[in-house]
Amino acid sequence: MLQLENVTVRFGGVTAVDNLTLSIGASEVTGLVGPNGAGKTTLFNAISGLVRPGAGRIVFNAVDVLNAPVYRRARLGLGRTFQVPQPLSRLTVRENLLVAQRFGTGSVNASRLDEILDFVGLTEKAGRDASSELALSELKALEVGKALATNPKLLLLDEVLAGLETTGKRRFMQMLKDMHAKFGVGILIIEHDIETISNLCKRVVVLNFGELIADGAPDEVFRDAEVIKSYTGAEHA
Amino acid sequence: MTELIFQAIYSGLLQGGSYALIALGLALVFGTMKVINLAHGELVLLAAYIAYAVESAFNVSPIVAIPVALVVVCISALLVYLLVDRIKKDRELNSLILTYGIGVMITNAILLIWKADIRSTKSAWLQDAVVLGPFYSMRSELGFFILSLVLMGLLWWWLSKSWYGRAVRAVASNRDAAKLMGINPRTTEIVSFVVAGILAAFAGVALYSYGVIQPPLGHALTVKAFIITVLAGVGSIPGVLAGALLLGVVEALTVTLLSSALQEIAGMGLFLLVLFVMPNGLFGTAARRG
Repeated sequence: MLQLENVTVRFGGVTAVDNLTLSIGASEVTGLVGPNGAGKTTLFNAISGLVRPGAGRIVFNAVDVLNAPVYRRARLGLGRTFQVPQPLSRLTVRENLLVAQRFGTGSVNASRLDEILDFVGLTEKAGRDASSELALSELKALEVGKALATNPKLLLLDEVLAGLETTGKRRFMQMLKDMHAKFGVGILIIEHDIETISNLCKRVVVLNFGELIADGAPDEVFRDAEVIKSYTGAEHA
Repeated sequence: MTELIFQAIYSGLLQGGSYALIALGLALVFGTMKVINLAHGELVLLAAYIAYAVESAFNVSPIVAIPVALVVVCISALLVYLLVDRIKKDRELNSLILTYGIGVMITNAILLIWKADIRSTKSAWLQDAVVLGPFYSMRSELGFFILSLVLMGLLWWWLSKSWYGRAVRAVASNRDAAKLMGINPRTTEIVSFVVAGILAAFAGVALYSYGVIQPPLGHALTVKAFIITVLAGVGSIPGVLAGALLLGVVEALTVTLLSSALQEIAGMGLFLLVLFVMPNGLFGTAARRG
């Protein structure tokens, strides 16, 4: 569904993503991990169109989207959430989802919207102001809800569990699992917690200094010497 | 004396209606594009001179000029947009210089075409007095104040209920999040420039219908719109209306109680006072929690 071919992103003299080639299949749940500064969020920005790669090719659903603007990629089915929730202020929770559905899919389906609100647990907060009346876990749920409302085929989740307490994290993780099953959406998730990734994903991709250093099942990848070195700075004993 | 003060407050409130239309246009463009259109006051002035030109050429009421003003000002607003849109680097800063330059060009074009003389409407019907209890105003003042409230109501409806209005609010709220929802920000920018042009056209015809116009007025109108936007805080239509009414009243009281020479300074004094005491504006909210 998503193919990245030799994608390179540079900021001045710093290469954030280095000649990366990667393929994500339809309805896969894939973890994207790596130490801080590995280029994970930059890669998300490149895929969603917020950053333009200096070189390479990005194909989504058989469409070359390298030069496509962000909104067109969203309409093609590329959803994305931010690590710091980005609600639309002065719009209610429901309006946030409504706008996403209308512009992301070109039509409004009220029952589907209710279904999404229910799924992310925000039905009771639907009439609240999205920017000032929600707790962090609810803002994170809204972030996922907005993305779901655009009817994505692939959802890029950027540290969606960060900042949540243990119970909230467990609940959210279950929601992500259910989301994959219920909506049939592919997921590419950035997450630092190895246990979460192992629990959620069948495949893990590891970046370090913008380069792909491992790609495989979580059990194998997290035993990989180069991956351990990238995190600890030392060879595995 | 008390009667005089109440009359000044009434006149200031009526004046505030047109100020609100001007400020809303400025705020709308700033919201979607993060550009302070320093030529906005000149667009309002252009509409006022179109009203003058139509009245002079065809000996009709300036109100007849509204459709012409709408077309000319909206096209001019779109041209401003096209020029601003060409700025790819440091747009927030560079657009200030560009729009200031456009404002100077419009002022000079007005000077060339209509000369530097002070103009006012010849329509006696528009200038007839309307008595409302103890208060007096010109028919045009009261009429355009009511029209301003209607236009603000329509704008509120459009922003709250229409899809383009919601898209404008979404882009103003968070540009990246809006794009990820499938919203094309360019469309919302164009729409906001056109809506700002519509409001400017009505405000310009209103100003000519009950006041006097001259080429340097455009710059002063931009400053007033900017003051109101700061008074209102992070934009809401009721906030802008309240800010505009407040500015109108302060100006009118200054003219009545002190001197007309202090009118502009009074607005600036209010601006500085709010900026120092309530930096988020009278109706703005502090930065949201993390």
